[in-house]
Amino acid sequence: MSSVPTEPPPPPPSPTLRRRTSLFIGLFVALQFIVPLTYLVRDDPADDRFTWRGATHQTNPACETSATMATVDGSERALAPERLIHPKWVAHLERDRDAVVSAFLRKQCETEGALEVTLTNACGDAEGVREYRLRCGADRASVSARRASR
Amino acid sequence: MTPLARYWFGDVALARPYLVLRFVLATLAFDLWLNMVPHAATYGAGGFNVAHFPLFGDFVPRASFYLGVLAFTGVLALSQALYRPHRIALALVAVGYTLGWSCSLLDSLPYHYLLSLYLVCFVFFPMLSARAAFSRSDEPPTGSAWAYVLFCVTTSIVYFYIAAWSASVGQSYALPMMCSGAYLVASLQDRSTTRAVHVAMPLLLGPVVWFHATWPSESWFSFTMLGIAGLVFAPTQVLHVMGRTVTYPARNWLQDPTHGGADERAAKVFYVSLIGLVLAPMVGIFVDLPGVKTGCALTALATLMVMGRQLYLTPRYRPLWRVGSLFGASLALLLTMQTSTARFDFYQSAAIDAERRGDDEAAAVLRDKAERYQR
Repeated sequence: MSSVPTEPPPPPPSPTLRRRTSLFIGLFVALQFIVPLTYLVRDDPADDRFTWRGATHQTNPACETSATMATVDGSERALAPERLIHPKWVAHLERDRDAVVSAFLRKQCETEGALEVTLTNACGDAEGVREYRLRCGADRASVSARRASR
Repeated sequence: MTPLARYWFGDVALARPYLVLRFVLATLAFDLWLNMVPHAATYGAGGFNVAHFPLFGDFVPRASFYLGVLAFTGVLALSQALYRPHRIALALVAVGYTLGWSCSLLDSLPYHYLLSLYLVCFVFFPMLSARAAFSRSDEPPTGSAWAYVLFCVTTSIVYFYIAAWSASVGQSYALPMMCSGAYLVASLQDRSTTRAVHVAMPLLLGPVVWFHATWPSESWFSFTMLGIAGLVFAPTQVLHVMGRTVTYPARNWLQDPTHGGADERAAKVFYVSLIGLVLAPMVGIFVDLPGVKTGCALTALATLMVMGRQLYLTPRYRPLWRVGSLFGASLALLLTMQTSTARFDFYQSAAIDAERRGDDEAAAVLRDKAERYQR
């Protein structure tokens, strides 16, 4: 037999601690059931974070993303998203991730002289072409999506 | 106790929480270093970022920030796996890990969210020593470990939702649903006197193995889940024997002294621990990745916080073992970087991105670094 003593196992929790712990367990488990269900009421169908849904649904449409910027001097120039942000972000744009599209448009609006920025996703799925337009300046936060064909 | 209370607070074989915690922490550390370090180059590129949660505001995490978080979390996690874990350190690992993925949508892997949930459970696991989890007798020690049951239930919920979403699109859901049920049964096995439950355990492991063997996974999701399943479903005696073998050095070699002056020993432990705490983060200098030195320095601060007054009050060797585990984890980070392609992949990816955005000067520097670490 070894001379090393065996340490006692942890004591069972007291009734008070058990009550507090039960409350924590209840909240933790409830959250895990509720959070995935929030997908059903999310505005952005591409946003399936924290739902375990991404594991079974991998149907990314093949899209081509392009962007243009209208400036105060009346001209319009094409933007190359893959040169402005990392290609991994472009993949998010292609998937119509609302949060990323909005952030991209807002970021481009920071360019001096920018009047309006448009992002177009031409996809090979049933929804066809999606267009997101942001007018810079006073109404920076409003992003509109136009689905050309459904 | 009500049946529900008995379910949560009933006994489990202490070998399970002991081994599950260490397995996941060690896997997490190497997953961070081998799989996530190469992706760090995408952080901050073009000054663009969208975080998972609004609380980050316009914060754009740079590669150095992200690498620092990875180094901090990985080293601290592995140090906790190597020696008796501490709740504060585990809470810091949970915060660091969650910060790592949540600061950017670039990391949207459900697996990382799951690990954060696991880490929250770990904070409430019993902080067991090897001697508490594996007694001298052949009888495996048991005790109440509600956080371990919560860990099993968390896993069960994940499989439940995978099954539910599969069903919603007409895919087969039988396998993930079986996995979900299997974890609920497995959480009860150590207190069940029904022989059928114990006989069924190896059979219940089958669906989990089959599910992950056929699961297309880019990350270490399947590997981690298979490892966890092995520990959760293994018969108690098998786990006990395996655990006793693995922890033999910890149970027999790491003994506190029984002779000599306590004050003198406490002073020696204090100075040696302090020197160790200064030296351990210096390993980060040799890793040659931005942010890693800071990350490693923060692990030393975290360890200091964990030890608290124990550092200068105890004549026992615990502070030394804790600093030793930090040293071991730091060295593991260095060895991982030197023997893998993670560092090369990071610099290569960063160079390509700099070239794409027309920053030739930065690209040349990064290309040089990539060539230095090409294997």
